[in-house]
Amino acid sequence: MGNYFIRRIFQMVFVIWGVVTVTFLIIRIVPGDPARLMEPPGTPEESIQVIRTRLGTDKPIPQQYVEYLANLTRGDLGKPFRGGTSVTEVIAAKLPNTLKLGLVSIIVATTIGSLLGVIAALRQNSLIDKGVLVFVALALATPNFWLAVMLVLIFAIQLHWLPAIDMAGPESYVLPVTALAIVLLPLIVRTVRQSFTEALTEDFVRAARARGLSERRVIFLHVMKVAAIPLVTLVGIQAGFVLGGSLVVESIFNWPGVGNYTLNAIQARDYPMVQGCVLVIASIFVVVNFLVDMTYAFLDPRIKF
Amino acid sequence: MTDSIPNQSTKSARGTPRGSVTEEAAPRATTGNFRALGLFLLRRKGALFGLVGTVLIALIAVFAPTIAPHNPLELDITQGLLPPIWNEGSAPDHLLGTDALGRDILSRIIWGARYSLTISLLSVAIGSSLGFFLGLISGFFGKWVDAIIMRLGDIQLAFPFLLFAIAVLAVSPERNIWNLSLVMGFAQWIVYARLVRSKVLSEKEKDYTRAARALGASPIRVLVRYVLPNSWQIVPVVAMLQIGGFVVVESTLSFLNLGLTPPIPSWGAILSDGRQYMVVSPYMPLLPGLAILITVLCINLASDGLADFFDPKLAKGGFRRYPLGLLPELHEPQREPLLRVRDVTTVFPMEEQVVTAVNRVSFDLERGQILGIVGESGSGKSTLGLSIIQLLDAPGRVVNGQILFQGKDLTRIGDHEMRQVRGKHVGMIFQNPGSSLNPVLSVGYQLRETLQRHHTLSDEVATRRAQEALEAVGIADLQRVLRAFPFELSGGMQQRVMIALAMSCEPELLIADEPSTALDVTTQVQLLDRLDEMRKKTGTSIIFITHDIALLADFADVFMIMYAGQVCEMGQRKQVIEAPQHPYTKALLDSVARTDVPGNQRLAAIPGDPPDPSEVPPGCPFAPRCPRVMPICREANPGIMTLGAGHTVACHLLTAKSA
Amino acid sequence: MTTLLEVRHLKKYFPVRQGLLGRTVAHVRAVDDVSFSLDEGETLGLVGESGCGKSTLAQTILFLEPPTAGEILFRGKVLTGRETRELRRNIQIVFQDPYTSLPPRMQVADIIADPLRIHKLGDQVSVDRKVRDLLQEVGLKPDWASRLPYEFSGGQRQRIGIARALSIDPSLVMADEAVSALDVSVQAQILNLFKDLQEQHNLTYLFVSHDLGVVKYMSRRIMVMYLGKIVELAPSQELYDHPLHPYTRALLSAVPSLHRKRKERIRLTGEPPKPTAPPAGCRFHPRCFMAQPICSEQEPELKEWVSGRFSACHFAMDNLAATAKM
Repeated sequence: MGNYFIRRIFQMVFVIWGVVTVTFLIIRIVPGDPARLMEPPGTPEESIQVIRTRLGTDKPIPQQYVEYLANLTRGDLGKPFRGGTSVTEVIAAKLPNTLKLGLVSIIVATTIGSLLGVIAALRQNSLIDKGVLVFVALALATPNFWLAVMLVLIFAIQLHWLPAIDMAGPESYVLPVTALAIVLLPLIVRTVRQSFTEALTEDFVRAARARGLSERRVIFLHVMKVAAIPLVTLVGIQAGFVLGGSLVVESIFNWPGVGNYTLNAIQARDYPMVQGCVLVIASIFVVVNFLVDMTYAFLDPRIKF
Repeated sequence: MTDSIPNQSTKSARGTPRGSVTEEAAPRATTGNFRALGLFLLRRKGALFGLVGTVLIALIAVFAPTIAPHNPLELDITQGLLPPIWNEGSAPDHLLGTDALGRDILSRIIWGARYSLTISLLSVAIGSSLGFFLGLISGFFGKWVDAIIMRLGDIQLAFPFLLFAIAVLAVSPERNIWNLSLVMGFAQWIVYARLVRSKVLSEKEKDYTRAARALGASPIRVLVRYVLPNSWQIVPVVAMLQIGGFVVVESTLSFLNLGLTPPIPSWGAILSDGRQYMVVSPYMPLLPGLAILITVLCINLASDGLADFFDPKLAKGGFRRYPLGLLPELHEPQREPLLRVRDVTTVFPMEEQVVTAVNRVSFDLERGQILGIVGESGSGKSTLGLSIIQLLDAPGRVVNGQILFQGKDLTRIGDHEMRQVRGKHVGMIFQNPGSSLNPVLSVGYQLRETLQRHHTLSDEVATRRAQEALEAVGIADLQRVLRAFPFELSGGMQQRVMIALAMSCEPELLIADEPSTALDVTTQVQLLDRLDEMRKKTGTSIIFITHDIALLADFADVFMIMYAGQVCEMGQRKQVIEAPQHPYTKALLDSVARTDVPGNQRLAAIPGDPPDPSEVPPGCPFAPRCPRVMPICREANPGIMTLGAGHTVACHLLTAKSA
Repeated sequence: MTTLLEVRHLKKYFPVRQGLLGRTVAHVRAVDDVSFSLDEGETLGLVGESGCGKSTLAQTILFLEPPTAGEILFRGKVLTGRETRELRRNIQIVFQDPYTSLPPRMQVADIIADPLRIHKLGDQVSVDRKVRDLLQEVGLKPDWASRLPYEFSGGQRQRIGIARALSIDPSLVMADEAVSALDVSVQAQILNLFKDLQEQHNLTYLFVSHDLGVVKYMSRRIMVMYLGKIVELAPSQELYDHPLHPYTRALLSAVPSLHRKRKERIRLTGEPPKPTAPPAGCRFHPRCFMAQPICSEQEPELKEWVSGRFSACHFAMDNLAATAKM
């Protein structure tokens, strides 16, 4: 296990470097002058030049890159272009909110999704299975931003049951978590159902039944242990959806998280801010995947490096 | 060469090639395929509904200029925020109402279909082509090409899809259909690349690739003519499945004002506008969302269905015992034989036909006796074994006959009671020991679990008994093996563990389904020794199923030769081996006696191929290949004739003789 | 008899990589110093159990895997692996698994014709004709040329594989477990076919199999391999009647036979060892029932003990004495 761990760490470092570099390049490689884009059209060239100097885009790209890396090692993600505190500070303040929302959503989705997936797998082609699959098909087709808006419309505005915006107490979690979880559910249900169904057809299941083990034991111990391991990777995938989807959901619910902040930065065309946020979000994703891989290796005795 | 599930491994008889399905998805010829597709869609209503819906929406998109009642960009502030016609205050020419600027919502939604579908299709095309190409060269050429592409892919994967698209589009000066599709499609290349790479890697390992190299083909030729044609199939399937998701992503981007620049009526943009006024006019955000929902639903249903059609995976369901068919009410008093099988027929009802895998087989097995069941593929021997222990894969079932074990009919007792029988009274070992053991549980755990299932034992006693069971199969390194996981043991060891597991509760009957086929010859000898010892010590009866008659030559007491689900001949060694009566038995023995045939003589071969259980002709199943076939053989199935003490044959030659 | 193929001290090692940097920590010695020669027109059988290296040997001779050391001479000329085109015209191979040895989406006609096209042997018309002739020769109907592999049975697919191997008229054909995956009744058909084709085309065979019965039937001489080394080489009948190596004796006695009693079989102790760490001295000694102290110290050479009979055992002649009674 030790070697695998070290190799994965190297890989993670490499990927984070890649993320850093790509984030750096996105802004500079896309055609168009970022400085010009940040100001309304028609702004005189001298003003643009001032902005360029502030942004640093008037320097040659390799030099910008080196400075950028140097700043990063100090934990400095730059300053927002318009406005005060450092990007790092703001992100550090808002990140926990995003993580809370994300974690709750993942837990809810995984619990409900796994249950549904196992039931569907055990009762294949029954009414329950079909019902689950219909639900999954609908959930998969539902855009999460629309769902969020509809939830706000129905439950907050028309029925006044739940708060629409801001993060204030447990009730405020309900709608945003629902919006995120419904997007995550189809993936979980399908994967769990398939993993379980496949595990049920493995030879060792038949051999276990041949020894007279009770059906409960065969399913809830033998099959579960084998089928569950690949599901750990689902957590990683969900993290990706949640981190990406947070931009939309947080904005609709005015949730004070990194996603919301990123979107504001985009709309304000504040490129240093955008860069910093994208970098942080992607890096978190990389770390989450690393942890997922380690957990997987830990659980599966066949992986021994 | 297993014959337990006949639907997959069909081979043709009489040397005539037939359409048959092998372990890979059968490549379907395009002619006549549309008919198959039509039938498939009729069965899968969801897919049909989805396909129809998708076609309709696509038509709407194509003919938008003609269908839309208004110009979607036409402003009329005086007509702003009109509700849909089912509400008060609506206007008859704006069926779904208007937005704040007086633009007709219905028209905008219709036009929106155009943009959504176009962008999705373009994105999928770009992503899949790029990914396919990169995956192909990555998998085929390997080494540094692979390393670079995969590392780049790692970086790509580190960005959640939406985040990446948002980040790039946020800094793009211009957002039109092309660069939107480019960004969205590009973000997905790695998905396809990985899939294709994986397929290429596995195809590279297959013998036909090596054969191509052996023939002198250059690497490019091998790639293009041999590997590529077998590696691309996954791409269109995945692409189809992604289209729906892309529609959602595109609308998400337009919702965030990162999609096509306004005032282009993309669904997300309409929804975004609608959100501002949703308190006043709740239908404004609702309707475009519904459009997205319905479109994506139809696309998903259609593509799921088509994907299943082109790449069918057997829906092997959970284990279920079906209700029994007609059973003759036979009450035989409990007799001496441990196992009495009478007229057992096992079938697999498939979609197109019912396949009879075991056809009216009868035999008795005494205590301590070894019955050897010999047959080639399609003979039904494995299915017979599974029928006895009632572990047939769905949809197989025993539809006729009785299986009397210690007086109880195993085909009629309930699940619960059968589970008591399994393990404690009837045990089974299988062909592939590696996959028959749970890979994530230790050997010791699995042994203890079985022991504690059938006896009330404390953990210490169970552990001790587990050790004894391992000792009994000749394993010396007890502690290591008890703690080990199955993959850590060699094939021979795994098989011994299997025997230990099956025998741990000392069943009266052990069914061994091709237990030595996967082992080396020298290990095989040890296996037979073990079984023989067990038999002597505990008086266990053994049913040994194999394709190798020589293996059983001096091991079995009774031999049963099976062909196409039926018993050809049964008897003791003196009868079946030394004086065989059935032409198939004779031919089998002849073609096996290789070590005794001098090199300059031809081997006695049976022409043709072993039968396909789904295509058994009327009459005697061996007739197509029999060297002594008579006209009656093709018409009537020979009944079972008793020749002597315990010697039975099913052959017209003998009924003719005795007539 | 002209010598067609000569193999001298051939070695094929596969590195085992471990650790962060993929350092090579050990080698799987699949083929470890193998030498033999093959005469034109003969069939040399190569037999051994799983992991002995027989398949690797066949594939290394074909340069499907480059040799680690040693020389391969074809008609007296040393092969370097660079003149692959010529090599491929002379030496061909038939694989074991009928279900994966044919490209699943290529028509049978193309499968057989491709080698001809690769080596540019003839125009479209003559290629088509050759394909039909070959199909007929291997016992299939020429009309079936436009079908796909999945429409054929296992035995038929092997016939297609044989036709493919023969299409460019090689002198040497290697059969790598070519009948092992077939039903018993079909195996006999294919073995007969091999023999017929050998006569008609004056082919030389290297016949690899784990099945001693098959090998004995097909071969004039037999080589027995164990853990990467040849332990015995002798004419078939003599190997069968009077083996000069304890492993051969054990192998022979383990082969299921209709006539030999199981009680008389030799039992080997222990498990087959790992190919990364072969035992010191004679590789077989931990499982050998005749082992003496010298066997764990000194590795026996493959020596010609009797004319035409080679054995790598310090006590080869004792084996002869033991089996002479039979």
